[in-house]
Order: sequence, then C-alpha cells, then structure tokens
Amino acid sequence: MTATAPTPVPAQTAIARAVNVSKIYGTGDAEVRALDNIAVEFGMGVFTAIMGPSGSGKSTLLHCLAGLDRVTSGQIYLGDIEISGCNEKQLTLIRRDRIGFVFQAYNLIPTLNAEENITLPMALAGRKPDPEWYRQIVETVGLANRLKHRPNELSGGQQQRVAVARALVSRPDLMFADEPTGNLDSKSGAEILSFMRGAVKDLHQTIVMVTHDPIAAGYSDRVVFLADGHIVDEMHEPTADRVLDRMKNLGE
Amino acid sequence: MFKVTIKGILAHKIRFLLTGVSVILGVAFISGTLVLTATINKTFDSLLSNVYQKTDAVVRQKAAFKSDIGSVRGRIDASLIPKVQKTDGVAAAVGNVQGLAWIVDKKNEALNSSGQGAPALGFAWINDSDLSPFHLVDVNGTPSRAPTKPNEIVIDKNSAEKAKYTVGATVPVITQAGRAEYKLVGIAEFGEQDSLLGATTVLFTPAVASEVVGQPGKVDEIDVRADPGVSQTEVASNIKQTLNGEPRIEVLTGEQIVKDSQGEVEDQLSFINIFLLAFGGIALFVGSFTIFNTFSIIIAQRGREMALLRAIGARGTQVVWSVLVEAAMVGVMASAVGFVAGVALAVLLKAALAAFGADIPTSDVTIPNSAIILSFVVGMAVTVIAAVFPAIRAARIPPIAALQRVGADQSAGTWKRVVTGLGVTGLGIALLAYGLGNALAVVGLGALVIFFGIAILGPTIARPISAVLGWPIQRIKGITGLLAEENAKRNPKRTSATAAALMIGVALVVLILVFGASARATVGAGIDQSMKADYLVTSNSFGPGTLPRLLEDQLRDTPGVEQVSGTQKNFIKVGSSASEVLGVDPAVVDSLFDLDVSEGSLEALKLDGIAVKRPTAEGKGWKIGDVVTVQFPQGGSKSFTVQAIYDQTRVPQIPDFVVSTDAFVANYPNTFDSAIYLQTKGGPSPANRAALEKTLKPYPNGELQDRDEFKAAQSAQINQFLAFVTVLLLFAVVIALFGIANTLGLSILERTRELGLMRAVGMTRRQVRSLVRWEAVIIALLGAFLGVVIGVIFGWVLVRALKDEGIDTFRAAPVQLVWVFVIAAIFGVIVAIWPARNASKLDVLQSISTE
Repeated sequence: MTATAPTPVPAQTAIARAVNVSKIYGTGDAEVRALDNIAVEFGMGVFTAIMGPSGSGKSTLLHCLAGLDRVTSGQIYLGDIEISGCNEKQLTLIRRDRIGFVFQAYNLIPTLNAEENITLPMALAGRKPDPEWYRQIVETVGLANRLKHRPNELSGGQQQRVAVARALVSRPDLMFADEPTGNLDSKSGAEILSFMRGAVKDLHQTIVMVTHDPIAAGYSDRVVFLADGHIVDEMHEPTADRVLDRMKNLGE
Repeated sequence: MFKVTIKGILAHKIRFLLTGVSVILGVAFISGTLVLTATINKTFDSLLSNVYQKTDAVVRQKAAFKSDIGSVRGRIDASLIPKVQKTDGVAAAVGNVQGLAWIVDKKNEALNSSGQGAPALGFAWINDSDLSPFHLVDVNGTPSRAPTKPNEIVIDKNSAEKAKYTVGATVPVITQAGRAEYKLVGIAEFGEQDSLLGATTVLFTPAVASEVVGQPGKVDEIDVRADPGVSQTEVASNIKQTLNGEPRIEVLTGEQIVKDSQGEVEDQLSFINIFLLAFGGIALFVGSFTIFNTFSIIIAQRGREMALLRAIGARGTQVVWSVLVEAAMVGVMASAVGFVAGVALAVLLKAALAAFGADIPTSDVTIPNSAIILSFVVGMAVTVIAAVFPAIRAARIPPIAALQRVGADQSAGTWKRVVTGLGVTGLGIALLAYGLGNALAVVGLGALVIFFGIAILGPTIARPISAVLGWPIQRIKGITGLLAEENAKRNPKRTSATAAALMIGVALVVLILVFGASARATVGAGIDQSMKADYLVTSNSFGPGTLPRLLEDQLRDTPGVEQVSGTQKNFIKVGSSASEVLGVDPAVVDSLFDLDVSEGSLEALKLDGIAVKRPTAEGKGWKIGDVVTVQFPQGGSKSFTVQAIYDQTRVPQIPDFVVSTDAFVANYPNTFDSAIYLQTKGGPSPANRAALEKTLKPYPNGELQDRDEFKAAQSAQINQFLAFVTVLLLFAVVIALFGIANTLGLSILERTRELGLMRAVGMTRRQVRSLVRWEAVIIALLGAFLGVVIGVIFGWVLVRALKDEGIDTFRAAPVQLVWVFVIAAIFGVIVAIWPARNASKLDVLQSISTE
C-alpha cells in the first residue's frame, strides 16, 4: 500500500480525534500556524507514529491531543469527552487518569525510586494499581529487580523503560510518547520500541508517538506525516525503508 | 567582570529583594533603636535645657552612690536658702521640693499608678517665673493663679484634661501624708508642653510641699538666679565660698547641672540601647544564615555561568570578587532600605510609647550619624561576610563544569564535617561554661559558637530528622507528603542552613519560655513557702512604694484585722554594692512573711543591725557579728552589724538587705510603705475582704491581694517582661521565615522541569501547592526541633547558673513547647504561600522543555 491522501476512519473505533484543529502562535506578521485545520483520528489498540520535519507541528499536535496545550480553534476528543473544552483542573485529571506520557528525557522524579515513579500518577489520584496488571507491566519492561533504584542509579534505557511502565500502569485510554528514543543508543531504543509494540499487540494499549526516526516509526501500525501544519500523508503497516523514502520526499 | 555582576543583579531583581529582606529587617531594627534613643535623648536634652534655662547655679547634696536608677542623693537644709540668698551676685534663691503625689480622678482612680508608665510627681510652686519650669495657663477663659493657701494646688494641663478637672474643682491627692482634698486654683504647662513627658504633676505651696511630698525643713535643691552681669561661674564660686564647711554639698553652674542631668539620662538610655541593639544583632546573625544560603543556592544554580567565566579566562579570584561585589551591592541597597525602615520604625515605637503614657513631646525625629554609619557598616559587613564561603566555593567550580550538567549537591555527612561541627560546638559549650561564672559577653559568644557548631553539623542530621518529621506527613498526605519529605532531604546543606536560621530564633524564644516557666515555678514555690499573711496590700509600682504609712494604722483599726505590718523599700549601698533594702518589723515579719532566717535573728536588728541574703553574705564573706559600712542617701556612712542571714532567695520582692523599719524610717525620712501584710480573724473571707476594701477605698493606688492573687500578680509580671523579650525575638524568627520562603522559591526554579513533569502526568495545582507547603513545614519543624532542643538546654544551663539569684526550680514548659511546634508548622504553611503559588502556576509545556 503506497502513501495516499488521508484515508477515512480506520476500521477500529477512534479513541482520540482532532476535528479541524488549528494552533496559531503570535499575531499579525509574527503569526505562525503550527497546526492548520487538521482532522485526524486515532484508533483504539493502534500504535500510531506522527512524523514530519522540524517545525512541521508534530509535537504541537501531540501536546494538543494530550491536553498539555490549547488549540486555537477546532475540537479535540478523547473518547466522547471534548478535551478542548475542559478547564485546567479537568485536563489535569484527564492526564492523570486517562493518558500516559513518555518524554524524550528526564521523565522521572529524581527523589522517587523506580517503583514510586511508576505508580506516581496512581498515587496522585490516591489509588493503588491493579497488582496483576502492575506485575505484568513490570515484567514486560524487565524491571523487576530494579524497582528500588533511584533514577540516577539506572541507565538511560532503564529510565525510559520506567517511564513506559509509568505511562501504562493506570491502563490509560491512550499513551503519548514524544521522541521516546531520541536520547538513547540504538540498542536501548530498539528495546523500548519493542516494549511499546508489545504493549499494543499483547496488552491492547493505544499509543501515539512523535518521532523523526524512520526506524522508530517502523515499529508502528500507522504513520501520519505532517508538514507545515498539515497532514500530508498516511501510511499503514510501515517499514523503516518506506518511511525513510517518504520522509525524503517531505524534504527532511 | 563587574558589568557581568551588575547585569546579573538587574536580571534577578526579585531574588535580590528577598535576599535583602533579612538584612533590611536587621538593619531596620538597629537604626530604629538608635534613632529612637537619640530622639528620646534629644527630647530630654531640650527639656533639661528648658528647665534650667534661666537657672545660673544649683545647690544640692553630693550623690551618695549610684543605683540602678541613677545617682541617689539626700535633701539639704532649707536653712541654707537665706545664706545663699545673701551671697554676692545672687538675685534670687528658691528651694525646690519634689516627691510623689497621685491625683485621684472622679472615678476614684489614681492617675499614673500602674507602675510601668510615667510617674506621679509633686512639687513646691516656685514663685519666680525664671526659676520655675512651670507656668500658669488659662483654660477656656478660666484664669489660673498660683497656690497661696495650704489647701490650694495647681496641676498640669494634661492631668486636668485626663481627669476632667477645671479650676475651682476639689481634687483629692494621695501623698505620704495620706489622702487630702485640695482646691484647684490653676493649671500649668511645663515649658511648652501639657505635661512633663506624661508625668502627672501637683504643685503645692512650698510649706505644704515640704510637708506632704518632701521633708519639713529640707529642700531637694536650691535654684539660683544671678544678678544681671554676674556670670554663672562667678555666682557659683561665690556660693561655694558662702557654704564652705557645709558637709556633702555641691554647687553647680546652670550649664553644669544641665550637662550632669543629661549624662544621667544618657546612662539610663544607653542601657536600653544596648539591650535593644543586642536583639538587632541577633536578627542580623539569623539574617546572615539566610544570606549565606541564598548565595550558596544562586551560585549552585549559576555553576555553569561561573564555569563559563573561568573557561573564557577569568581567574578564581575574579570569580570570588564578582560574588563579593554582588553581595556588597545587595548589602548597600538593603542597608539603605533598612535604615529608612528603621526611621519609620522609630516613629512607630514613639507612638507606641505615647500610647503607654510615656509621651515624647516632639514631632521631630533625631537621626544620629551613628545610625547612618552603623546601618551601612553592619548591613554591608554581614552580607559580604556571609557571602565569602559561597564565593570561594564558586571559584572552585572547574571550567570543565561549563560543559557538564551540574547535579544537586547531595553531600551531607563527611567525617570532616562531623568532627568540625562537634569541635566548634564543644568550643561553644566551653565558652558558655566559662562565661557563666565570669562574663555575660562570653556567654553570648559561647551561644553564638554553639549555633555555628550545630549549623555545621546540620547537614548530617537534617536527613534523618526530616525523615522522622516527614513520616506522619507522608502517612496523611500520601505521595505529596513523600515528595515533600524527599525534597527536604535531597539537598541537606540547603535544608539545614535554612532551618538553622529558624533554629536560632526558636532556641532563644524557647530559652525565654523555659526561663519564664522556671521563674514562675520558683516564685510560686517561694510564695507558698514564705507567705503567711492572709492578705497583702501592694503598691503596683517600682521604687519606694506608694502607700502612705498612716494606712497601716487605718488598717489596724479595721474590723477583723489581727496583725498589720508594713514593709518599706529603697536604695542602699552596703560595702561596695548598691542594692535595694527592705524595711521590716523584726517582731512580726516571720509570722507574716517568712524570710527563712538560717543564722542569727531578726529580733536583733534594732537601729544599726542588718540582715543579708545568704548568697550575698557568702559572696562577700560576711558572718554574723561583722560590721559593714552602710550608705544611705541621706546622712552619709554608718556602721551596721550583720545580725541575721536569710535564705529566702526565691521571691524577687525580697532584696539583698533587710533592716528594721525603725532603722529604715530613721534613714529614709517621710517614706512610703511598699507593701502591707495583714493577718485577719479566721483567715481570708468575703467579710474580711469587704472590710479591708472599705478601708482601702480612699487609696486606689494600693491593691489588696490574697496569697493566690499575689502569686498570679507575680507570674503576670514575669510574663509581661518575657512577652516583651519574645516580641523582640520575633524579628529574628520573621527573618528566618523569609529565609524559608527564599530557599523554597530558589529551589522551585531549580525544579521547574520536574514540576512540569509532575503536572504533565496528572499532579493538580493544589497538589503542587501542597507539595511545596509540606516541604516548608518540614524545614520549619526541623528548625523548631533543633531550636527547642538547644533552647531547653540553654534554659537548663541558665536556670542552673541563676541558682544563687534564687531561680532554683527548672521547668521545661512542655505545653508551650508543643505550641512552638504547632506555630512553627503554621508559619511554615504561611511562608510557603508565595513559593507554592509560583510553583503551581508554572506553565506545564514550558517547564518540561526547560533545560
């Protein structure tokens, strides 16, 4: 299947939707359209990668979808909640209870050990994780014997694995990852991506990942290409080589 | 290099303001004190020059000795007046009589009888407008005139207004002669003022004055006006010749008397000055911790910048200087603001004094040069010295650090630190122990060194104590509690330096609390043990008391009264020590108030016997039968024999020396009673009380107390003083609290990314605030804990050291100590408001992308 214009809704139920979303920074001559009337949906149980050159708006899109940033116009839905209409406090609770996060680096609280970091969102909600699920996550990411270590006692790869575990422990509707392998060597990066792949395939989680690395995108089910604030293409069942080819055409 | 420094300051204005707050408050305290005392001094100066404006010479007795309240002297014979009058060059010579007299208002309250405020004075009216400081004024068109008949008086305008008396009114006045009613014939101003610094004044005819406020045939001083063209020196030397041969007389020129009186006032004020400046010093000492901490944090945060400067070629010394210049600039700015704030503070204090009845009648504030100089010198010095260590640390940052990420300094307990800390603490304890037997200044130094020692040990104990304090918070608050505790523990140096500032303030407050509880317990025990009388009439004032002696007789005639005995009090000099002396009736004193005589007997006191408090007798090596030289204000030196040694040291009413009332009255003519002890039929009862109250009704300046009331009144007096000291110490506590806010504010800057991350994964703003708040509470509790431990130990040491002064019961005041913790925690919450708000308002996206 070759890259085509944005396709209609995938077969799966959409868990997150952006409806005619625009994000504009500045005014007048300084106006920058980071997102320009974007419409996109993310299916449940799908590992989606968002790709695009620097300044294409991919991170902005992720931040808006995750309730970290506000859209200028349009709507963002998580399930049937319109998060673009939520207030600060509602957004915080949505992030805590329904969304998981993995950032590029410094994902962890240095004063908490791995276990405490993993359960942080649940602890903030005053809840305990489901022990069976917790055990499964911890085993999947291979941290069982590192749980009492503090972040500065873990390697970069291990730290990212803790972050992935944290993102998944509350069984979020959606996990967002922003260049999760950007700071890792290729071996550790491959491990993390395998875990994420596995989380979608075996644990039926939904992941949206921003990356500029075609190899990382190759682990996903679907790639959405962004350029200049527009969705310019989409690819299903990608491979690293195909993604690389497509990216070259986008000018990166 | 300095350009970099200045740009840095401009870029962090708020941070510098906060750093400066500790200096500002300390400097404000110091400059406020100096300005206030200078203003009071100036007021007295102009007052005294005004009083003696047209006085060319003064004849009075030489000072017998100096007491706590200044020079003590007796009166001189009125028969000298005509001699002086006849001297060459003397135009006029008048006898000045002064004493105590209470105006009773229409509600039967005696004005100025509360003890702490301005006094109630009585004078002879001087019919020479040049020599009299008072002059008559007509109020509301009613003419005033001088008193001419025995039952006529003039009072000061302020009292007339307060008591709502107008010319023609009948005014009751209490004097040593009892209560009598006078006819008000005039109202007087003192110079330009409504009153003499808030004192009430009654002016009698000279004859009545020597009867009721002075001593018949005696005057306090003779004021002289010279003939025109005769100089002060000339007339004074003429008088000296005339009076040649008169014992213990001194003649001063008008200029000399002004200078002498000003000197006396200055002496008294310098005591207040030193007392207040000590608290300013404490505030700055606490402030120096805050400054040290702020600079340490700033330098840690700017580690890369410092390293970059080194990398591009700045020498280590240049880095040190850049930090010190920065500190100096903070110091200068803070000193300037502090100085101005101090002047404002002085104005406020002046208003507060006026509210307490000590009116300083000037709208001008005197700013002495010393206030300006000291403000800047002290403010700069404290800031720069506190920044020296951080500056040296800054210079040690290697250039390579410019290229690395600088991690948090988690180091805490090196052996070197423990050894140094223990060594310094030990040195402090040694100084304290040495000083207790010798010099108060060394005690202060010892305490200072101990604070330093504990501050050095701080980082090693900060973690475990924070863990203990954090445990319950973690239980209650869950993850935010855990995070707060971990944040408090993550940089032990910073946490402990912040807490150390609070520790000092709290330790001193606790010292006061413990001392107060111990003093109350001691006095209470002393009263239980010695107070045998059913009732006591006290005069609620310092000095000689306010109860006319004839009150004893009236009480004796009161139904239900079985025994009455008055005690008298005044200053005396025995051997080389000036102190208070108590006059008692040797026959009955022990059955009313047990002095706990352990050697000799009070019965033997008679006219030339003296009893001595045991610690004093031991200190001087006096034994029963020893003859000691005693000086009374009047009448020169006399030989007294030590007849008894008593052990009652716990009640502060009992001074070092006791003589018989007979001896007392012989040497202090026309005295008051300071207290009257009463034994009633059947003991205290409403009937007895009612009868006594009836007798006391004309004497509203006396207060009837039973044993419990007496005890409560003593406790209240101790509490009042301690409350005053505690308020002064609060300055230091407030500075320490600003320090906590400052540290938290700076720490939050460091943790921006982390806070952003927590917000991203679902921490609510409320939880962020709670996180910061509980960290503040842990730091505050850590400071309070260390302060309480040190304060209780200091209190114990102080109580032990004061054993000879009578404080022999140690009380740790546990209830108040719990309150210290509660209040510290509440203050922690309050000071966290600002940093917590800032932390919760961080923009999530910006924060996570912060480097």
